[in-house]
Amino acid sequence: MRLQCITVDLRDRKQLYEQLIDNIRHLILSGEIKPGEKLPSVRNLAKELGINPNTIQKAYNELEREGVILTLPGRGSVVLTETDELRRKQLEKIEETLTGIAREAEMTGITGAEFLQAADNAWKKTNAAEKEENE
Amino acid sequence: MIRTENVTKCFGSVRSLHEVSVTVENGSIFGLIGSNGSGKSTLLRTLCGIYKPDQGDVLCCGEPVFENTAIKEKIVYLSDDPYFLPHSTMADMCQMYRSIYPKFSMERYRELVQKFGLEERRKIQTFSKGMQKQVSVLLGLSCMPEYLLCDETFDGLDPVMRQLVKHLIIDDVAERNLCCIIASHNLREVEDMADHIALLHQGEMVLESELDDVRTNISKIQLSFPKERCDEMEVKLQEMQPLSVVRRGSLFTVIVRGNEESLSGWVEEQKPQFCEFIPLTLDEVFITEMEERGYEFTKDLIG
Repeated sequence: MRLQCITVDLRDRKQLYEQLIDNIRHLILSGEIKPGEKLPSVRNLAKELGINPNTIQKAYNELEREGVILTLPGRGSVVLTETDELRRKQLEKIEETLTGIAREAEMTGITGAEFLQAADNAWKKTNAAEKEENE
Repeated sequence: MIRTENVTKCFGSVRSLHEVSVTVENGSIFGLIGSNGSGKSTLLRTLCGIYKPDQGDVLCCGEPVFENTAIKEKIVYLSDDPYFLPHSTMADMCQMYRSIYPKFSMERYRELVQKFGLEERRKIQTFSKGMQKQVSVLLGLSCMPEYLLCDETFDGLDPVMRQLVKHLIIDDVAERNLCCIIASHNLREVEDMADHIALLHQGEMVLESELDDVRTNISKIQLSFPKERCDEMEVKLQEMQPLSVVRRGSLFTVIVRGNEESLSGWVEEQKPQFCEFIPLTLDEVFITEMEERGYEFTKDLIG
Protein backbone atom coordinates (compact mmCIF):
# COMPACT_ATOMS: atom_id res chain seq x y z
CA MET A 1 0.00 0.00 0.00
CA ARG A 2 1.03 3.59 -0.38
CA LEU A 3 2.54 5.27 2.66
CA GLN A 4 0.82 8.52 1.82
CA CYS A 5 -2.57 7.06 2.79
CA ILE A 6 -1.69 7.29 6.47
CA THR A 7 -1.66 10.79 7.90
CA VAL A 8 -1.66 12.48 11.29
CA ASP A 9 -2.44 15.96 12.52
CA LEU A 10 0.09 17.18 15.07
CA ARG A 11 -2.25 19.88 16.32
CA ASP A 12 -5.10 17.49 17.06
CA ARG A 13 -5.88 17.00 20.73
CA LYS A 14 -6.16 13.30 20.12
CA GLN A 15 -2.98 11.39 20.78
CA LEU A 16 -0.85 10.49 17.81
CA TYR A 17 -1.04 6.76 18.29
CA GLU A 18 -4.83 6.91 18.55
CA GLN A 19 -4.97 8.92 15.35
CA LEU A 20 -2.87 6.26 13.67
CA ILE A 21 -5.12 3.47 14.89
CA ASP A 22 -8.29 5.23 13.67
CA ASN A 23 -6.64 6.03 10.39
CA ILE A 24 -5.58 2.47 9.68
CA ARG A 25 -9.00 1.13 10.72
CA HIS A 26 -10.68 3.51 8.27
CA LEU A 27 -8.32 2.48 5.51
CA ILE A 28 -9.20 -1.16 6.06
CA LEU A 29 -12.94 -0.52 6.26
CA SER A 30 -12.93 1.61 3.13
CA GLY A 31 -11.06 -1.12 1.29
CA GLU A 32 -8.00 1.04 0.74
CA ILE A 33 -5.93 -1.63 2.45
CA LYS A 34 -7.02 -5.13 1.51
CA PRO A 35 -7.01 -8.04 3.94
CA GLY A 36 -3.72 -9.91 3.69
CA GLU A 37 -1.91 -6.79 2.58
CA LYS A 38 1.21 -5.66 4.40
CA LEU A 39 1.31 -2.44 6.39
CA PRO A 40 4.38 -0.22 6.01
CA SER A 41 7.17 -1.08 8.41
CA VAL A 42 7.44 0.91 11.63
CA ARG A 43 10.71 2.39 10.43
CA ASN A 44 9.46 3.53 7.06
CA LEU A 45 6.32 5.02 8.47
CA ALA A 46 8.29 6.82 11.19
CA LYS A 47 10.55 8.37 8.58
CA GLU A 48 7.72 9.24 6.24
CA LEU A 49 5.59 10.92 8.89
CA GLY A 50 8.41 12.26 11.03
CA ILE A 51 6.94 10.57 14.09
CA ASN A 52 8.78 8.80 16.85
CA PRO A 53 9.00 5.09 15.88
CA ASN A 54 7.90 4.12 19.39
CA THR A 55 4.59 5.88 18.82
CA ILE A 56 4.01 3.88 15.66
CA GLN A 57 5.02 0.66 17.37
CA LYS A 58 2.47 1.44 20.06
CA ALA A 59 -0.30 1.88 17.50
CA TYR A 60 0.66 -1.39 15.78
CA ASN A 61 0.73 -3.21 19.12
CA GLU A 62 -2.73 -1.94 19.93
CA LEU A 63 -4.07 -2.99 16.52
CA GLU A 64 -2.53 -6.40 17.00
CA ARG A 65 -4.11 -6.71 20.45
CA GLU A 66 -7.47 -5.93 18.86
CA GLY A 67 -6.81 -8.61 16.27
CA VAL A 68 -6.89 -6.20 13.34
CA ILE A 69 -3.37 -6.96 12.20
CA LEU A 70 -0.86 -9.73 12.75
CA THR A 71 2.84 -9.04 13.14
CA LEU A 72 5.20 -11.79 12.12
CA PRO A 73 8.76 -11.43 13.33
CA GLY A 74 10.95 -10.26 10.46
CA ARG A 75 8.09 -10.21 8.00
CA GLY A 76 6.14 -7.17 8.96
CA SER A 77 2.52 -6.56 9.87
CA VAL A 78 -0.29 -8.06 7.82
CA VAL A 79 -3.95 -7.06 7.85
CA LEU A 80 -6.17 -9.92 8.97
CA THR A 81 -9.26 -10.84 6.99
CA GLU A 82 -11.81 -10.33 9.74
CA THR A 83 -13.37 -7.08 8.59
CA ASP A 84 -16.77 -8.14 10.00
CA GLU A 85 -15.58 -7.62 13.54
CA LEU A 86 -14.17 -4.23 12.58
CA ARG A 87 -17.45 -3.28 10.97
CA ARG A 88 -19.38 -4.26 14.05
CA LYS A 89 -17.11 -2.13 16.22
CA GLN A 90 -17.41 0.79 13.86
CA LEU A 91 -21.20 0.51 14.00
CA GLU A 92 -21.06 0.48 17.78
CA LYS A 93 -18.98 3.62 17.73
CA ILE A 94 -21.41 5.35 15.38
CA GLU A 95 -24.32 4.40 17.59
CA GLU A 96 -22.52 5.85 20.56
CA THR A 97 -21.96 9.14 18.75
CA LEU A 98 -25.58 9.19 17.67
CA THR A 99 -26.72 8.64 21.25
CA GLY A 100 -25.07 11.88 22.23
CA ILE A 101 -26.72 13.72 19.39
CA ALA A 102 -30.09 12.15 20.16
CA ARG A 103 -29.85 13.22 23.76
CA GLU A 104 -29.06 16.75 22.70
CA ALA A 105 -32.02 16.67 20.30
CA GLU A 106 -34.35 15.48 23.01
CA MET A 107 -33.18 18.19 25.37
CA THR A 108 -33.96 20.85 22.82
CA GLY A 109 -37.46 19.47 22.27
CA ILE A 110 -37.00 17.70 18.96
CA THR A 111 -39.27 14.70 18.37
CA GLY A 112 -38.12 11.21 17.43
CA ALA A 113 -39.68 11.51 13.98
CA GLU A 114 -37.87 14.78 13.33
CA PHE A 115 -34.62 13.25 14.49
CA LEU A 116 -34.97 10.27 12.17
CA GLN A 117 -35.90 12.60 9.32
CA ALA A 118 -32.73 14.62 9.97
CA ALA A 119 -30.64 11.45 10.01
CA ASP A 120 -32.25 10.30 6.77
CA ASN A 121 -31.55 13.67 5.14
CA ALA A 122 -27.94 13.55 6.28
CA TRP A 123 -27.54 10.06 4.79
CA LYS A 124 -29.04 11.10 1.47
CA LYS A 125 -26.85 14.20 1.31
CA THR A 126 -23.72 12.09 1.85
CA ASN A 127 -24.74 9.64 -0.87
CA ALA A 128 -25.52 12.45 -3.30
CA ALA A 129 -22.15 14.07 -2.66
CA GLU A 130 -20.40 10.76 -3.26
CA LYS A 131 -22.26 10.17 -6.52
CA GLU A 132 -21.26 13.63 -7.73
CA GLU A 133 -17.65 12.88 -6.88
CA ASN A 134 -17.76 9.64 -8.84
CA GLU A 135 -19.24 11.32 -11.88
CA MET B 1 20.87 2.30 27.76
CA ILE B 2 22.08 5.24 29.78
CA ARG B 3 21.07 5.78 33.38
CA THR B 4 21.77 7.67 36.53
CA GLU B 5 21.30 6.31 40.03
CA ASN B 6 20.71 8.80 42.82
CA VAL B 7 23.02 11.35 41.29
CA THR B 8 23.76 14.44 43.36
CA LYS B 9 25.92 17.28 42.10
CA CYS B 10 26.82 20.44 43.98
CA PHE B 11 28.80 23.48 42.97
CA GLY B 12 30.03 25.02 46.18
CA SER B 13 26.94 25.71 48.22
CA VAL B 14 24.60 25.37 45.22
CA ARG B 15 22.98 21.97 44.88
CA SER B 16 22.25 21.52 41.17
CA LEU B 17 21.06 17.93 41.22
CA HIS B 18 19.59 16.03 44.10
CA GLU B 19 19.29 12.23 43.96
CA VAL B 20 18.23 12.06 40.34
CA SER B 21 17.57 8.59 38.99
CA VAL B 22 16.62 8.22 35.38
CA THR B 23 16.91 5.53 32.72
CA VAL B 24 16.79 6.14 28.99
CA GLU B 25 16.57 3.17 26.65
CA ASN B 26 18.13 2.91 23.21
CA GLY B 27 15.81 3.77 20.34
CA SER B 28 13.98 6.29 22.43
CA ILE B 29 13.61 10.07 22.52
CA PHE B 30 13.58 11.50 26.00
CA GLY B 31 12.34 15.01 26.69
CA LEU B 32 13.85 16.73 29.70
CA ILE B 33 11.85 19.76 30.76
CA GLY B 34 12.66 22.32 33.39
CA SER B 35 12.80 26.04 33.99
CA ASN B 36 16.06 27.97 33.94
CA GLY B 37 18.39 26.75 36.64
CA SER B 38 16.47 23.55 37.29
CA GLY B 39 19.51 21.37 36.58
CA LYS B 40 18.88 20.23 32.98
CA SER B 41 22.30 21.20 31.68
CA THR B 42 24.03 19.85 34.76
CA LEU B 43 22.26 16.53 34.27
CA LEU B 44 23.27 16.37 30.60
CA ARG B 45 26.88 17.26 31.41
CA THR B 46 26.93 14.61 34.12
CA LEU B 47 25.45 12.07 31.71
CA CYS B 48 28.18 12.61 29.14
CA GLY B 49 31.00 12.56 31.65
CA ILE B 50 31.97 16.22 31.72
CA TYR B 51 31.02 16.48 35.39
CA LYS B 52 31.78 13.87 37.98
CA PRO B 53 28.79 13.28 40.22
CA ASP B 54 29.34 13.98 43.93
CA GLN B 55 27.18 11.00 44.76
CA GLY B 56 25.56 8.22 42.80
CA ASP B 57 26.46 6.58 39.49
CA VAL B 58 26.14 7.42 35.84
CA LEU B 59 26.14 4.25 33.77
CA CYS B 60 26.15 3.89 30.03
CA CYS B 61 25.88 0.32 28.69
CA GLY B 62 26.52 -0.74 32.29
CA GLU B 63 29.83 1.11 32.61
CA PRO B 64 30.62 4.38 34.39
CA VAL B 65 30.94 7.24 31.94
CA PHE B 66 33.37 9.54 33.71
CA GLU B 67 36.82 9.47 32.03
CA ASN B 68 35.83 6.35 30.10
CA THR B 69 36.99 7.01 26.54
CA ALA B 70 35.48 3.87 25.04
CA ILE B 71 32.02 4.91 26.23
CA LYS B 72 32.46 8.59 25.47
CA GLU B 73 33.13 7.75 21.83
CA LYS B 74 29.49 6.77 21.62
CA ILE B 75 28.15 9.96 23.17
CA VAL B 76 27.73 13.34 21.52
CA TYR B 77 26.75 16.32 23.62
CA LEU B 78 25.38 19.36 21.79
CA SER B 79 25.97 22.26 24.12
CA ASP B 80 23.56 25.17 24.28
CA ASP B 81 26.57 27.37 23.58
CA PRO B 82 28.52 25.49 20.91
CA TYR B 83 32.27 25.99 20.94
CA PHE B 84 34.40 26.14 17.83
CA LEU B 85 38.15 26.60 17.61
CA PRO B 86 39.06 30.24 16.92
CA HIS B 87 38.95 31.14 13.22
CA SER B 88 38.05 27.61 12.26
CA THR B 89 35.90 26.64 9.30
CA MET B 90 33.48 23.75 9.22
CA ALA B 91 36.06 21.69 7.33
CA ASP B 92 38.58 22.31 10.15
CA MET B 93 36.08 21.26 12.80
CA CYS B 94 35.26 18.19 10.75
CA GLN B 95 38.97 17.25 10.84
CA MET B 96 39.01 17.70 14.59
CA TYR B 97 35.93 15.59 15.24
CA ARG B 98 37.22 12.90 12.88
CA SER B 99 40.33 12.60 15.00
CA ILE B 100 38.25 12.20 18.17
CA TYR B 101 35.29 10.08 17.10
CA PRO B 102 36.45 6.89 15.32
CA LYS B 103 32.98 6.31 13.87
CA PHE B 104 32.86 9.74 12.22
CA SER B 105 31.34 9.29 8.78
CA MET B 106 32.54 11.50 5.95
CA GLU B 107 29.68 10.23 3.83
CA ARG B 108 27.17 11.42 6.38
CA TYR B 109 29.02 14.70 6.75
CA ARG B 110 28.86 15.37 3.00
CA GLU B 111 25.20 14.47 2.90
CA LEU B 112 24.38 16.79 5.80
CA VAL B 113 26.42 19.69 4.42
CA GLN B 114 24.23 19.44 1.32
CA LYS B 115 21.02 19.19 3.34
CA PHE B 116 21.80 22.14 5.58
CA GLY B 117 23.24 24.17 2.71
CA LEU B 118 26.09 25.60 4.78
CA GLU B 119 29.35 26.91 3.32
CA GLU B 120 32.14 24.63 4.38
CA ARG B 121 34.99 27.09 3.82
CA ARG B 122 33.53 30.04 5.69
CA LYS B 123 34.77 30.85 9.16
CA ILE B 124 32.22 29.57 11.63
CA GLN B 125 32.54 32.74 13.72
CA THR B 126 31.04 34.70 10.82
CA PHE B 127 27.91 32.52 10.88
CA SER B 128 24.81 33.68 12.72
CA LYS B 129 23.92 32.11 16.05
CA GLY B 130 21.28 29.87 14.52
CA MET B 131 23.66 28.74 11.80
CA GLN B 132 26.28 27.92 14.43
CA LYS B 133 23.69 25.72 16.11
CA GLN B 134 23.16 24.02 12.78
CA VAL B 135 26.91 23.44 12.45
CA SER B 136 27.00 21.78 15.86
CA VAL B 137 24.06 19.51 14.96
CA LEU B 138 25.66 18.67 11.62
CA LEU B 139 29.00 17.76 13.17
CA GLY B 140 27.34 15.93 16.05
CA LEU B 141 25.26 13.71 13.79
CA SER B 142 28.27 13.02 11.55
CA CYS B 143 29.98 11.42 14.56
CA MET B 144 27.33 8.69 14.32
CA PRO B 145 26.66 8.69 18.06
CA GLU B 146 24.67 6.07 19.90
CA TYR B 147 23.70 8.68 22.45
CA LEU B 148 22.84 12.22 21.49
CA LEU B 149 22.36 14.77 24.24
CA CYS B 150 20.83 18.02 23.02
CA ASP B 151 20.87 21.05 25.28
CA GLU B 152 18.26 23.54 24.06
CA THR B 153 19.29 22.61 20.54
CA PHE B 154 15.96 23.47 18.98
CA ASP B 155 15.57 26.88 20.56
CA GLY B 156 17.71 28.79 18.09
CA LEU B 157 16.52 27.03 14.94
CA ASP B 158 14.00 28.40 12.48
CA PRO B 159 10.92 26.27 11.77
CA VAL B 160 12.33 24.79 8.55
CA MET B 161 15.59 23.80 10.19
CA ARG B 162 13.75 22.51 13.23
CA GLN B 163 11.75 20.21 10.99
CA LEU B 164 14.91 19.01 9.24
CA VAL B 165 16.73 18.28 12.51
CA LYS B 166 13.65 16.55 13.91
CA HIS B 167 13.48 14.29 10.87
CA LEU B 168 17.21 13.54 11.03
CA ILE B 169 16.94 12.52 14.67
CA ILE B 170 13.86 10.38 14.07
CA ASP B 171 15.59 8.69 11.13
CA ASP B 172 18.52 7.83 13.36
CA VAL B 173 16.24 6.54 16.09
CA ALA B 174 14.48 4.32 13.55
CA GLU B 175 17.58 3.19 11.64
CA ARG B 176 20.37 3.06 14.17
CA ASN B 177 18.50 2.77 17.44
CA LEU B 178 19.81 6.15 18.55
CA CYS B 179 19.08 7.25 22.08
CA CYS B 180 18.33 10.94 22.19
CA ILE B 181 17.84 13.21 25.20
CA ILE B 182 16.50 16.68 24.49
CA ALA B 183 16.60 19.27 27.23
CA SER B 184 14.38 22.29 26.86
CA HIS B 185 12.61 24.85 29.01
CA ASN B 186 9.64 24.61 26.69
CA LEU B 187 7.32 21.63 26.60
CA ARG B 188 6.25 22.46 23.05
CA GLU B 189 9.77 21.90 21.76
CA VAL B 190 9.70 18.24 22.65
CA GLU B 191 6.09 17.07 22.79
CA ASP B 192 5.85 16.11 19.13
CA MET B 193 9.04 14.03 19.23
CA ALA B 194 9.59 12.51 22.63
CA ASP B 195 8.19 9.21 23.88
CA HIS B 196 9.26 9.82 27.46
CA ILE B 197 9.09 13.04 29.41
CA ALA B 198 10.72 14.09 32.65
CA LEU B 199 10.37 17.28 34.58
CA LEU B 200 13.17 18.72 36.68
CA HIS B 201 12.56 21.32 39.33
CA GLN B 202 15.25 22.72 41.60
CA GLY B 203 17.50 19.78 40.85
CA GLU B 204 14.89 17.14 41.59
CA MET B 205 13.01 14.89 39.23
CA VAL B 206 9.39 15.78 39.81
CA LEU B 207 7.72 13.69 37.15
CA GLU B 208 8.89 11.01 34.77
CA SER B 209 6.59 9.07 32.52
CA GLU B 210 5.82 7.69 29.13
CA LEU B 211 4.31 10.54 27.15
CA ASP B 212 1.10 8.71 26.27
CA ASP B 213 0.56 7.56 29.84
CA VAL B 214 0.79 11.12 31.08
CA ARG B 215 -2.27 11.90 29.06
CA THR B 216 -4.35 8.78 29.51
CA ASN B 217 -4.28 8.74 33.28
CA ILE B 218 -6.12 11.97 33.58
CA SER B 219 -9.44 13.08 32.04
CA LYS B 220 -11.39 16.22 31.51
CA ILE B 221 -15.17 15.84 31.51
CA GLN B 222 -17.78 18.40 30.65
CA LEU B 223 -21.16 17.76 32.23
CA SER B 224 -24.39 19.60 32.45
CA PHE B 225 -27.38 18.98 34.75
CA PRO B 226 -30.89 20.40 34.98
CA LYS B 227 -30.87 23.64 36.99
CA GLU B 228 -32.56 22.19 40.06
CA ARG B 229 -29.94 19.44 40.42
CA CYS B 230 -26.85 21.61 39.96
CA ASP B 231 -26.21 22.44 43.61
CA GLU B 232 -26.72 18.85 44.67
CA MET B 233 -24.37 17.66 41.91
CA GLU B 234 -21.67 20.11 42.86
CA VAL B 235 -21.41 18.29 46.16
CA LYS B 236 -21.87 14.87 44.62
CA LEU B 237 -19.05 15.37 42.13
CA GLN B 238 -16.59 15.51 45.02
CA GLU B 239 -17.13 11.74 45.32
CA MET B 240 -14.95 11.31 42.26
CA GLN B 241 -12.11 13.01 44.13
CA PRO B 242 -11.62 15.44 41.29
CA LEU B 243 -8.45 17.47 40.87
CA SER B 244 -10.52 20.46 39.92
CA VAL B 245 -14.16 21.37 39.34
CA VAL B 246 -15.17 24.52 37.53
CA ARG B 247 -18.83 25.45 37.41
CA ARG B 248 -20.29 27.86 34.90
CA GLY B 249 -24.06 28.05 35.26
CA SER B 250 -25.22 24.48 34.80
CA LEU B 251 -22.07 23.36 33.02
CA PHE B 252 -19.35 21.64 35.01
CA THR B 253 -15.80 21.03 33.87
CA VAL B 254 -14.20 18.33 35.95
CA ILE B 255 -10.58 17.22 35.81
CA VAL B 256 -10.11 13.86 37.41
CA ARG B 257 -7.64 10.99 37.57
CA GLY B 258 -8.63 7.96 35.51
CA ASN B 259 -9.61 7.27 31.91
CA GLU B 260 -12.90 7.27 30.05
CA GLU B 261 -13.34 3.53 30.51
CA SER B 262 -13.10 3.64 34.27
CA LEU B 263 -15.10 6.82 34.75
CA SER B 264 -17.96 6.70 32.29
CA GLY B 265 -19.96 4.23 34.41
CA TRP B 266 -20.13 6.52 37.41
CA VAL B 267 -20.82 9.54 35.24
CA GLU B 268 -23.68 7.85 33.41
CA GLU B 269 -25.29 6.94 36.72
CA GLN B 270 -25.60 10.60 37.58
CA LYS B 271 -27.77 11.03 34.48
CA PRO B 272 -26.27 14.22 33.11
CA GLN B 273 -28.13 16.05 30.36
CA PHE B 274 -24.91 16.26 28.49
CA CYS B 275 -21.57 14.63 29.00
CA GLU B 276 -18.37 14.76 27.02
CA PHE B 277 -14.86 13.48 27.62
CA ILE B 278 -12.28 15.89 26.24
CA PRO B 279 -8.68 14.80 25.83
CA LEU B 280 -6.31 17.02 27.73
CA THR B 281 -3.42 18.73 26.04
CA LEU B 282 -0.03 17.98 27.48
CA ASP B 283 0.10 21.52 28.84
CA GLU B 284 -3.06 21.00 30.83
CA VAL B 285 -1.79 17.71 32.23
CA PHE B 286 1.44 19.31 33.34
CA ILE B 287 -0.24 22.27 34.96
CA THR B 288 -2.63 19.98 36.80
CA GLU B 289 0.04 17.53 37.91
CA MET B 290 2.31 20.30 39.09
CA GLU B 291 -0.34 22.30 40.87
CA GLU B 292 -1.30 19.16 42.72
CA ARG B 293 2.29 18.86 43.87
CA GLY B 294 2.21 22.47 45.03
CA TYR B 295 4.27 23.99 42.24
CA GLU B 296 3.19 27.21 40.67
CA PHE B 297 5.87 27.53 38.05
CA THR B 298 4.46 25.63 35.12
CA LYS B 299 3.07 28.61 33.29
CA ASP B 300 6.45 29.83 32.08
CA LEU B 301 7.41 26.32 30.97
CA ILE B 302 4.66 26.00 28.45
CA GLY B 303 4.48 29.68 27.48
